[in-house]
Amino acid sequence: MKAIQEFTKGIIKENPVFVMALGLCPTLAVSTSVQNAIGMGAAATFVLLCSNIFISLIKNLIPSKVRIPCFILVIASFVTIIDMVMEAYVPPLHKSLGIFIPLIVVNCIILGRAEAFASKNGVFKSMLDGLGMGLGFMLAIMVIALIREILGVGTILNIRILPASYKPMIAAILPPGAFITIGLLMGLLSILQNKKKSKA
Amino acid sequence: MKDFIRPTLVLLIICLIAGTILAFIYQQTAPLIAENKLKAEEAARRLVLPDAEFFKPVSDSSDVLYYEGYNADSTLVGYVFSCVQYGYSSDVKTIVGLTPELMINAITVVSQAETPGLGANCTRDDFTTQFAGKNPYNIYVDKDGGVIQSLTGATITTRAVTNAIRDTFQKLRDKL
Amino acid sequence: MDFSTLFIIIIGSIFVNNFVIHRFLGLCPYIGVSKKMDSALGMGMAVIFVMTMASTITWLIYTFFLNEATSIFGLDLTFLRTITFILSIAVLVQFVEMVIKKAAPELYKALGIYLPLITTNCAVLGVSLLNINENYNFIESIVNGAAAGVGFTLVLVLMAGIRERLEYSKVPRSMKGMPISFIIAGCMALAFLGFTGMKF
Repeated sequence: MKAIQEFTKGIIKENPVFVMALGLCPTLAVSTSVQNAIGMGAAATFVLLCSNIFISLIKNLIPSKVRIPCFILVIASFVTIIDMVMEAYVPPLHKSLGIFIPLIVVNCIILGRAEAFASKNGVFKSMLDGLGMGLGFMLAIMVIALIREILGVGTILNIRILPASYKPMIAAILPPGAFITIGLLMGLLSILQNKKKSKA
Repeated sequence: MKDFIRPTLVLLIICLIAGTILAFIYQQTAPLIAENKLKAEEAARRLVLPDAEFFKPVSDSSDVLYYEGYNADSTLVGYVFSCVQYGYSSDVKTIVGLTPELMINAITVVSQAETPGLGANCTRDDFTTQFAGKNPYNIYVDKDGGVIQSLTGATITTRAVTNAIRDTFQKLRDKL
Repeated sequence: MDFSTLFIIIIGSIFVNNFVIHRFLGLCPYIGVSKKMDSALGMGMAVIFVMTMASTITWLIYTFFLNEATSIFGLDLTFLRTITFILSIAVLVQFVEMVIKKAAPELYKALGIYLPLITTNCAVLGVSLLNINENYNFIESIVNGAAAGVGFTLVLVLMAGIRERLEYSKVPRSMKGMPISFIIAGCMALAFLGFTGMKF
């Protein structure tokens, strides 16, 4: 596979959220506003990129028996770093993401990529893979957040785009809105896939 | 036996390295984080008592802590206190600024996790400005026969803010 | 010990702030293991057990090793919270698996396959972090852990019940599987919204 494909596959074809249904908890929890979605996406991409690079570097030194604990240690360290850095430099964002920053540790996308990709491939490829998957994750949360913020508040990034007379559909930013939005989006994706298949 | 030593060593080494790096970054960021917290508290106090140049914390044997605000000439321009009460789904924490005559100067809601779009609107200016000039000693929500207009669909949040201000003020009044 | 506080914690964690549909923790097993009633029950029991144990152990670790005021070292190590919690949960799960395998082979048969999955269940790490954030004491933490587990099991079993019936109903082709499960989860979340704002 060409290097560029390692990067692009995570964004659409193997999108971690919509296609592989990984990392659902943060996706639904922080998609109440586009701002939160970008923050979460960026933090997770950073951790994914760093852990992929680091694990592909040390993959030959790790005995396979303690592979998973080692991966978790590496990931947890990067998560703690981003947690502290965000608290120091962007405290409001840190506050609104809350416990979902430390919970990046158990985001299955990151451990999944470490186990399935970084522990078997070189540094460069792992880097591209991490970046692609991270951006794919960010894209997915942003799409959901966009829909929920427009419907539920009538704004994008706190800028009003629907007229003030629009009565916000509050349910969209409450938990039910998250489930129903992702359900409908996944349904839409599978309609597209079914069409593609019937054409082929 | 060899199977056992190598994995343990590797794990131990990774733990040590991770611990050291984290400790280093913690040292770098900890002062910044502490400073941010102070700054945020200071900013909230300035917001509710803009005339004050500096604040002096006052606390006595009881558990209530408040601040006296002074202007550049060291004359007292008001007081600031914080109060908290459980609203609809979270603790709602409010910072209140008082004029020297013990009327509300301004309030700001600094932390809450109420329902977005309903109770969470308590942080908006069009809600908080109505508290200005009111007497905190007998402030009530309109549904309880008072003058504070409830947020649409969030009487409980409004009541939490209002009652917290009243209850805390009644405890404080004799000391001011 | 104040029993009304404990009662509020129990009702709160099971119904009002249900871990799955209010806090969005533990969604992967919620969607993944809810196809059959038996496996949902098995997973639920395993989660209740591990969450209670994890709450106990992480509270002890935090209080005696990490928190400056109560630590036996007198050092502020709270920044190591994420990394120590996830490691102790991983060790705990492994240990529980070994003990159950030896002591109760019948139970192991029922729960065994779910135990490894629990390490990366964000509800377990989530409850440990929340106990610390909410300043719960030892008893409250244990009770909160158990109640959160019960809440998780409740919605998991409800979901499995609905999905078993769903097998026999007509669902549009594109909505089959994951999409319709999310829509159902959304309806369930709407129903659970009725619990918020309950006062005692």
